[in-house]
Amino acid sequence: MKKEKTKLSRRDFFSAGTALAGGVAITSVLAGYDGLLFAAVTPNAKGIWYGIGIDINKCIGCGKCANACKLENNVPQAPFYFRSWVEQYTIKNDGSIVVESPNGGIDGFKQSVPDKDIFKSFFVPKMCNHCAKSPCTQVCPVGATFETEEGIVLVDEKYCIGCRYCVQACPYGCRYIHPDKGTVDKCTLCFHRLKKGLKPACFEICPTKARIFGDLNDPGSEINYFLKNHNCMVIKPNLNTGSKLFYNALNPEVR
Amino acid sequence: MPQHIKRLIIAFSLFLALFLVLRQVLRPESFGELGHFRAKAIPENAMRPMHYTVTDSCTKCHGGIRSEKDKGFHKNLKCEVCHGPGLKHATYAGQFKNGALPDSLKLYKPGERKDCIICHQLNAARIKIQFDTINTTMIHQIDPVKHNPGDPDTKEAFKCIDCHSPHQP
Repeated sequence: MKKEKTKLSRRDFFSAGTALAGGVAITSVLAGYDGLLFAAVTPNAKGIWYGIGIDINKCIGCGKCANACKLENNVPQAPFYFRSWVEQYTIKNDGSIVVESPNGGIDGFKQSVPDKDIFKSFFVPKMCNHCAKSPCTQVCPVGATFETEEGIVLVDEKYCIGCRYCVQACPYGCRYIHPDKGTVDKCTLCFHRLKKGLKPACFEICPTKARIFGDLNDPGSEINYFLKNHNCMVIKPNLNTGSKLFYNALNPEVR
Repeated sequence: MPQHIKRLIIAFSLFLALFLVLRQVLRPESFGELGHFRAKAIPENAMRPMHYTVTDSCTKCHGGIRSEKDKGFHKNLKCEVCHGPGLKHATYAGQFKNGALPDSLKLYKPGERKDCIICHQLNAARIKIQFDTINTTMIHQIDPVKHNPGDPDTKEAFKCIDCHSPHQP
């Protein structure tokens, strides 16, 4: 059977080529509307780029950070709504793991496993990781949650439609729907305090200085000193969320 | 150009025109200035009210207690760790004479056992730093059931502050 050859005239070739070039030109103009590209934005190379450090060795599980967060940010007192909370991980001698967080640790912890069964026990304070490639901002259908230039993930309360998509997308469980407002609420790293030159409430209140925060771009900052001097790790590094909450002495059991 | 292509082009340009008009009308102010969000949401987030202040604003009036606290084990604690958010108190309490402070401006005075054991209850997760020579816990811990359980007749437990000054324990 004879192979049929496609006949392409010179005129057709040029018109197709021009159309292709025009298409590329229009797309590159539209790239200015970077709604599709914003998910791939690289970390801020200059200016402030906030990072958080938590020293699990120093945390005594008093829950003062969780309490301070609720009072500072008017989070509902009911025990299901938290922007920041503390969990107690207990690894038993038989290898099983018990995770407890009674009221987020606000009322204190009572050791439920007797001493003789415990292999290891530690507190893990949790809060928003302020990811650089945050899954929660990428799924928002209306653009009501976003990362600022400083690397803080914020929520636009007036624009949020309360669809709960971001609540499911956050791999760290750091978002909740505010029962009165009907919109999503999360840790803002006390953005209103940062702008006034103050520390976030939980960092201000921590009695053992287990919480450190600062500018990752500033080589002399407290957070960079902390990162240099400890073996720090983020939770769920395999998800590549670009988490900026670094834990010292983090056990791989922590999820 | 065939008739059906012409019709399609007209239909698509109508859709495009409608889309552009709707986009102009429905898009909120300042949307897209800094990214795929309302740029004005950033100052709105920054305008939220504060409740916690800093320890220095307590020292203005309560300097004596501060210097007492700074000598003891609690020297690293901020006042608001135990007394709660104090911005309102720090801002307005100066106008009132001693004793005339309205209840809304009063801060929490912790004195019950539950206030102290929130940090000082014995817990396996709390024994953290072991110094080289002396086996010391980072904070002092007690078992609230055994530590001075109180009068056996009345079953009323002692308060921690009966023996320990909270500012200089």
